[in-house]
Amino acid sequence: MNEILFNNQVIVYLLSEALLYALLLIAFVFTLTLLKSWNFSHFTQAQFRLENRSYLVMSIVLFTLMLKMLLLPYFVYTIDSLSDLVPGAMCAAGVIKANGYGTMLLTLKIVLLFLSGLWMGINQLDMKTTTYRYLRAKSWFFFFLFVGLSVEMAWDILYFTQIQTTAPVQCCSVIFGQVGGANGLPFGLDTFKLMVLFYLLFALLFLSVLTYNALLSVLVAPLFLFIAYYAVVYVFGTYIYELPTHKCPFCMLQDHYHYVGYLVWGFLLFGLFFVLKGAMFSYVFKEKSEHLNRVALGLLSIFVLLCSAYVLIYYLKNGVLL
Amino acid sequence: MKNKILRYQAFVYFLTLTLWKQKVKHTAAVFISILIIFLLSAVLFVSSSLKQTLLHTVKQQGDFTVTRLKAGYATQTPSSWIEQIEQIEGVTALTTRVHGRYFYQPKGKSFLVVGIDFFDEQNSQLLEALIGKMALKSFLSQESMVVGQGVKNFLTAHFYEDTFSFKTPSGAFKEVHIAKQLDESTNLIANDMVIMPIALAREIFGFDENEVSDITFNVPNEAEWDTIITKLHLLFYDVRILDKREIQKGYENMFNYKGGVFLILYLVTLLTFMLILYQRYAMVYSSERKEIGTLRAVGWSIKEILLYKFYENVIIVVVSFTVGVLLAYGYVFLANAPFLKAIFLGNANLSYTVGFTPVLELGLLGSLFLLYAIPFLVAVLIPAWKIAVTPPKEAMQ
Amino acid sequence: MIVIENLYKTYNEERADAYPALKGINLQIEKGSTVILSGVSGSGKSTLLSLIGGLDKPSSGKIMVEERLISKLPDLHASAYRSQTVGMVFQHFNLIESLSVEENIIAALIPLRLPLNKMQKMTQESMELANISHKASQQVNALSGGEKQRCAIARALVNRPNIILCDEPTANLDKANTLKFIEILKTLRQLGKTIVIATHDPIFQALDFIDQTYFIENGSIRSE
Repeated sequence: MNEILFNNQVIVYLLSEALLYALLLIAFVFTLTLLKSWNFSHFTQAQFRLENRSYLVMSIVLFTLMLKMLLLPYFVYTIDSLSDLVPGAMCAAGVIKANGYGTMLLTLKIVLLFLSGLWMGINQLDMKTTTYRYLRAKSWFFFFLFVGLSVEMAWDILYFTQIQTTAPVQCCSVIFGQVGGANGLPFGLDTFKLMVLFYLLFALLFLSVLTYNALLSVLVAPLFLFIAYYAVVYVFGTYIYELPTHKCPFCMLQDHYHYVGYLVWGFLLFGLFFVLKGAMFSYVFKEKSEHLNRVALGLLSIFVLLCSAYVLIYYLKNGVLL
Repeated sequence: MKNKILRYQAFVYFLTLTLWKQKVKHTAAVFISILIIFLLSAVLFVSSSLKQTLLHTVKQQGDFTVTRLKAGYATQTPSSWIEQIEQIEGVTALTTRVHGRYFYQPKGKSFLVVGIDFFDEQNSQLLEALIGKMALKSFLSQESMVVGQGVKNFLTAHFYEDTFSFKTPSGAFKEVHIAKQLDESTNLIANDMVIMPIALAREIFGFDENEVSDITFNVPNEAEWDTIITKLHLLFYDVRILDKREIQKGYENMFNYKGGVFLILYLVTLLTFMLILYQRYAMVYSSERKEIGTLRAVGWSIKEILLYKFYENVIIVVVSFTVGVLLAYGYVFLANAPFLKAIFLGNANLSYTVGFTPVLELGLLGSLFLLYAIPFLVAVLIPAWKIAVTPPKEAMQ
Repeated sequence: MIVIENLYKTYNEERADAYPALKGINLQIEKGSTVILSGVSGSGKSTLLSLIGGLDKPSSGKIMVEERLISKLPDLHASAYRSQTVGMVFQHFNLIESLSVEENIIAALIPLRLPLNKMQKMTQESMELANISHKASQQVNALSGGEKQRCAIARALVNRPNIILCDEPTANLDKANTLKFIEILKTLRQLGKTIVIATHDPIFQALDFIDQTYFIENGSIRSE
């Protein structure tokens, strides 16, 4: 444990998270006062102070969201750098599985980034109104977001303090590999069916966004994320690594693959975020945004094209598929 | 997209204009920032450079080093073990070494004497890395050795120009010719090293013909390493096995530890700096308050003031960081980090100069940036908000 | 048109030293008219002006400008109102000392998010109108009182506002510059701007282009 906590990247990461959490705690306290005393129709100094405080909450959330977006890839980089200290780990995949907190923590981080982004969307709409129409809604949203952020902070500490450097972990070829004939894909799918499902879901999501069908978008997006994850790890990844047995979501983030993993996961996650944001704007707040939809479709299309390009290029170079 | 850029063009113009015209205001913060970044970067540059050099050396060594233990301490290893180890599947490039510390009693200094078989393939690669291609024939025609720079300087200072006489355990002296000095670039590992033929080293340390210090070998298939370790333990009950992974991990931990200690000390400095920053920006000189009040009065929103202050600080952060890192780079890789290197390299047995191999990892720079930028921006966020929300009329009074 | 209904403003209202600056102000200012708010120091005229300009918020009451309620706007909207509709000239000029004349004026256009070259053009026109373009690159702290005033006027006009608010505009000017200022006011009136001037300078009483004068006394108003 001590070796892990002396690792430079771990120190940088935990310090950054702790500082941001301290700011968020301040925002949380102010949010509580907002929820308790807010009344826009009042002309009192107290109400004007609350309006000023809402600006602080907004600034803090914006600021921490921006930095957390940087800290997420940095988190992955940190655990990747720990693979030298954790026996058996060849990349972040092994280190993430070093204890029970790793996968949950990473998933929570992504979910919180999504939710924070949605909070910013509500904030954007609120600022446009002349009566802070959505202030209570966004304050409650932040309240629950903060609970999630607190859990994230706790899991951050628990995860890093409980990584053992003496017990070996499995490397990605074991975690994701089809060892002994076992099929790592869900629902008993095979590669072909997975690919068909992947492209079909993409087409469905594309159409639902194009036609402003918010409800359908919200339903299809998580499904697409689920299938896309498996598609990237079990199919597209193998073409990035050019090795049919190398199945890993993390190795593609490393420099020998030109950090393409950041692009792949980035386009996917950002694309889906804008789908959800657009759906929220249109369904909950009745504000259709063509711009949001265009951005979402653009990002998702680039994601699909990027992944498909690896397969196509491999096929063109070698005449066969893996 | 073009409209968006145009819309922010004037904002950026105004931001850079006011920052330049009011640069004196930010001098203290920038100066302290550069100092902190400089120190921090220098420490991390030294650390990663040393780590890389050492790990590079470790890579060239044998995968395994096997020594005999007696009463828990390393002792002479029987060379007969070679035949038994050779039998193990997957073992290659087996070689023996005789090495130890020779103390020059009058002064209490020591040399690391390494005796190797100069015709062995594994050793010749290592040797080539240290001393380059060399005429072995002339070297072996007399009792000769190759010495590190620290050893050479020491011997010269004590009037041993061409030869040095080792005192052997039997009491007799063994005169050895100093054939060559190792290059300065090897000082990190070989400063106090003396390399000689294995037979000569045996003589100096009083080893028997069938004794060595340790046996090294390679196992190309890393998946077999744990099995090999088990087999060795089954073969010999009194064996200590050191594999390359452990050495690498040891170095990683050592540098993490030293680097970690520095970072923790840095945290203390950092917190103080944050407090200073907070107070500095919270003080909000009346002229600055008035200016912000004026901007609010002519139509700037709180959001715009916040953006203005935020980007003002981001520019300060980026400029300070760049200058600090560049200065540290020059200090470590051009000036060889005087004062700082002693902390990492400790009190040397024999004094020496060492050059740092330039190492510039993106990840390292990213870590440095986060370590500095986040605390800085966190410290100034609330003061910036306070100034932004002051009612314009009140601010202009 | 500016309509003010039952406007109250109390400073430090939650404290023992609460001070009622405005008590039940009711008035109307027609579009394109020039109006004086007259009264001694501390009568409340500057407070009223700052409320009309959206620089502060009232304790109660309504301020409608061009049929838009501006007395209780969130900051984003209040500042948009200030940057698009209002131009203010302050008693102490309130210029940014470290910047030049031109830079001070451009600062008022930044919130409008126009292209920089357009802003520079508008700035040039405004400086010419206020007769200060020959000092464009001069740092403000090197200007005389009259020149600073003209710079402040140029800044107030650069965003082409419909409403010009002047708070004690001649308090720091000599006679000659005061007369120059009045000439500029005449020009603005001809351009159809609504002008509200808070002042206790008697020279304004004698002007023939003033449409209405309101006398403010202890936070209340009487018209004449």
